[in-house]
Amino acid sequence: MTVAWFGTFWDVYSNLVLSVGTNALLALSIWLTLACGMLSIANAAFMAIGAYASALLTLNFGWPFPVALAAGMAAPALMAFLIGRPTLRLSGVYLAMATLAFGEVVRIVLLNTDRVTGGALGLNGIPQLTRWWHVALALAVTLAVLWRMRRSRIGRAFEAIKEDETAAGLMGIDVAGYKMLAFVLGAAIAGLAGALNAHLTFFIGPGEYGFDRAVEILTMAILGGIGSLTGPVVGAVILTLLPELLRALQNFRLVFNGLILVLIVLFLPRGIWDTERLRRWAGIVRRQA
Amino acid sequence: MLAQQLVNALSLGCVYALFALGFTLIFGVLGVINLSHGAVFMVGAYAAEQAVSHLGLPLWGALIVAFAFSGVLGLVIDLLVLRPLRARNAPHLIPMIATIGVGIILTNAIQGIFGAQNIRFPEQLVSNRTISVEGIDVTALELGIILLSFMLMALLLLALKKTQLGRALRAIAESPRAAYLLGINVEGLFYLTSFVAAGLGGIAGVLIGLYSNALFPLMGKSMLEKGIAVIILGGMGDMRGALIGGLFLGLAEVLSVAYVGSSMRDAVAFGLLFLILLIRPRGLFGTLMERKV
Amino acid sequence: MKRNTLAHSLFALISATALAATAHAADIKIGVAEALSGGAAQYGISIRHGFELAADEINAAGGVNGNKLQLIIEDDQGKKEEAINVFKKLIFQDQVLMVFGPTLSNSAQAADPIAQAAKTVAFGTSNTADGITSIGDYVFRNSVTEADVLPETLRVAVKHAHIRKVAVMYGNDDVFTKSGYDNFVKALEHAKIPVTTTETFAKGDVDFKAQLTKIKATHPDAIVLSALLAEGAPIMVQARQLGITVPFIGGNGMNSVKVFDLAKGASDGLYVGSPWSASNESPENVKFIKAFEAKFKTQPDQFAAQSYDGMHIMVQALKTIKLGGNLAAERSALRDALPSVKWTGATGAFQFHRATDKAGKPAGYDAQQTAIVSVTKDGKFVIEK
Repeated sequence: MTVAWFGTFWDVYSNLVLSVGTNALLALSIWLTLACGMLSIANAAFMAIGAYASALLTLNFGWPFPVALAAGMAAPALMAFLIGRPTLRLSGVYLAMATLAFGEVVRIVLLNTDRVTGGALGLNGIPQLTRWWHVALALAVTLAVLWRMRRSRIGRAFEAIKEDETAAGLMGIDVAGYKMLAFVLGAAIAGLAGALNAHLTFFIGPGEYGFDRAVEILTMAILGGIGSLTGPVVGAVILTLLPELLRALQNFRLVFNGLILVLIVLFLPRGIWDTERLRRWAGIVRRQA
Repeated sequence: MLAQQLVNALSLGCVYALFALGFTLIFGVLGVINLSHGAVFMVGAYAAEQAVSHLGLPLWGALIVAFAFSGVLGLVIDLLVLRPLRARNAPHLIPMIATIGVGIILTNAIQGIFGAQNIRFPEQLVSNRTISVEGIDVTALELGIILLSFMLMALLLLALKKTQLGRALRAIAESPRAAYLLGINVEGLFYLTSFVAAGLGGIAGVLIGLYSNALFPLMGKSMLEKGIAVIILGGMGDMRGALIGGLFLGLAEVLSVAYVGSSMRDAVAFGLLFLILLIRPRGLFGTLMERKV
Repeated sequence: MKRNTLAHSLFALISATALAATAHAADIKIGVAEALSGGAAQYGISIRHGFELAADEINAAGGVNGNKLQLIIEDDQGKKEEAINVFKKLIFQDQVLMVFGPTLSNSAQAADPIAQAAKTVAFGTSNTADGITSIGDYVFRNSVTEADVLPETLRVAVKHAHIRKVAVMYGNDDVFTKSGYDNFVKALEHAKIPVTTTETFAKGDVDFKAQLTKIKATHPDAIVLSALLAEGAPIMVQARQLGITVPFIGGNGMNSVKVFDLAKGASDGLYVGSPWSASNESPENVKFIKAFEAKFKTQPDQFAAQSYDGMHIMVQALKTIKLGGNLAAERSALRDALPSVKWTGATGAFQFHRATDKAGKPAGYDAQQTAIVSVTKDGKFVIEK
């Protein structure tokens, strides 16, 4: 009985559940740069590069999936490395805008190289190779690596750079090097999410990786809260499921989607997963008990 | 052909500048990248269209309705969303995300009410007569948009420079805290800025809606992306930057269509933007004009 | 006319009440997955109206062998992920007999494989991109691809407007307009018509004068335009403002009576080809247009006509199969019955022809119809031969 129920549930919602997973990866990819004090919104573009690189390999050359996934991480990481040096000198809003412009350029290049990428028609008939445990494993490994990193010298360096870049430099921290590390690693995670997603949905096209996606990734991370690793994951879960949960509202459902976004920003300043607030609540409960 | 293309670039540049005026005003004074500006722009156009088709208002009436309606909407957004965030000193990313939510609400509310299909202003609202001089064609509306962009820009600059109010706004743009200590009613001026910036967005909505002959719920989206490019090019938050950035983007787009190829138009425009940021991080004209606003 | 409207609303009311009263197990659940929000909503909503009109007519006439049609309508937002989610919900949770949709070709590329794997018919009424029906033998569409229509449009336009060379303009960031462009290029090559210049634009552009100025300088005899109405109408207006007087040859996307409103004063001289024309006075089309206007207080477009016909085509197959067995058997029975349907509706005489997949093996089913070419003149489509 339970098994049958789960079977139907999985038939209907497997894609949604796996989307939650890839979106969580994307939110973590931007968390990494945010944790280092950089607002880079090139993650949609890195996702695109990862998706196209891996899909072209499996589709045209029949490469094994793990190799294609690795290539889907390596290609955006390389791209990040190349543009990182000049770009990461920028800070604040200027970095955001430069990375946004870079994203647009990537999208237009995909549109114009239609012999390879299919242009606006995108790539069709991508083999559906992504299994649920691929996504679960990718998410688990990413979380483990990032968790470990937070508690290491690298994490402390990120924290110092985020607090005050100049002071961190004076303390002898290699600011440019650590920033580059966050940027390149973030690009690789976004590429992985792109590669997994491409092999889940049979189809990819340049339209998916534009301004809207960039903003959506940022929103997931901020909404969930960037104070911890749980925050971005929670943000991804909520933003992916919200439109589905609101399906009953029909025509005006996206109005409520927007409304909920505004309300969360207004009333939960540190995002939904605010460790301090949670600890406070836990404290109240303990005191009462 | 080059002469015609330069005229095309001038009118396109002014279209962008018109949109960027309110966008840049909010950024300059409030320090917020207001991503609901595209939706406010769209709502202003729809409000004017309703007023024109139900009340038969002429063009100037439509512009006033759009200014007032969008302006009040901007004020409401400020009161309900931006003010609470200011009050608790939220980092500048937070208001930006809140305005994304506001944009989603407005776009989908308008779509729920009026549907997703294109509508347009009645044709008699504005003369679409073409004026031809020496083989160069320009419409009356284009001339109007060019003239109005320059006039609004001059008016705003004059107001900022010469009036008490303008001086206060400039002080706020430098440092809201210092302005507050000087006894300036900072909150009140924030409301005023939100009202005026949104109102300007509404005016832009009407004129650009007339220019492209189409109103639709997502009409603000691509303008918003171009608007972001404009304010970076012009130096963020600099009022003159809106016009200069707009004209520069218009010129870059038109010339890349004419000499590079139209499929590379946006790649050229955004590639240029990327390069400019790398070489001159404060925008093309940012350092030229040290003062914000 | 007034009485007619009243009669229709009464009709709709009665059928709606009847539907509510008889919503029991014998209802035939039909899934509809269309883009009802987002940028593609203007097509999705029109498509939905076509389905609703056809289903109401069928139910009012007693349903299919006594069973009523029950439409389960879901919004796919014009996004591929949502289209997959909606297809899965309709097929596995709502247990529909078959699914109509999705609106966009991109969404179909992502969602149709789901239906194919679940052995459920996916019936597109608006997907025109190449390769969709090569996904598998459960994929059907009654939307005519541009490959079938454009050569005919070109032939008629050349004959009437003495065209020797053309300029081409298309939206390069949209599947619909890009695949239209690809097919125009093939048709132009086939007809040996030289192209003076090829220009592109993007969704949401408001100004096309830079491209048009360049086109004007090459002195073409016509402009071939693969655009959706949102950009196509302003392009026509701005071309006339620049003193370009040559005719336009448009794709499917321009075949809408809204062009007369959106390009008012500049709408003359546009050639479009499609199985459906607002000016086609066949009895089926006249009846469709009348009923549509009465029900929705707006004029139908090609998208509505195709979904309206799509529902009727499906019902012809439905009539021939036995219902009441298990769902899987019903689904494959429907699939087996569909290919032999012949139907004359708002878009004229219709039948399926088999498509092949990448390896050349038989796959899904495309539409086989004749195109009607018309040209705009004084706010009307005039049919040309």
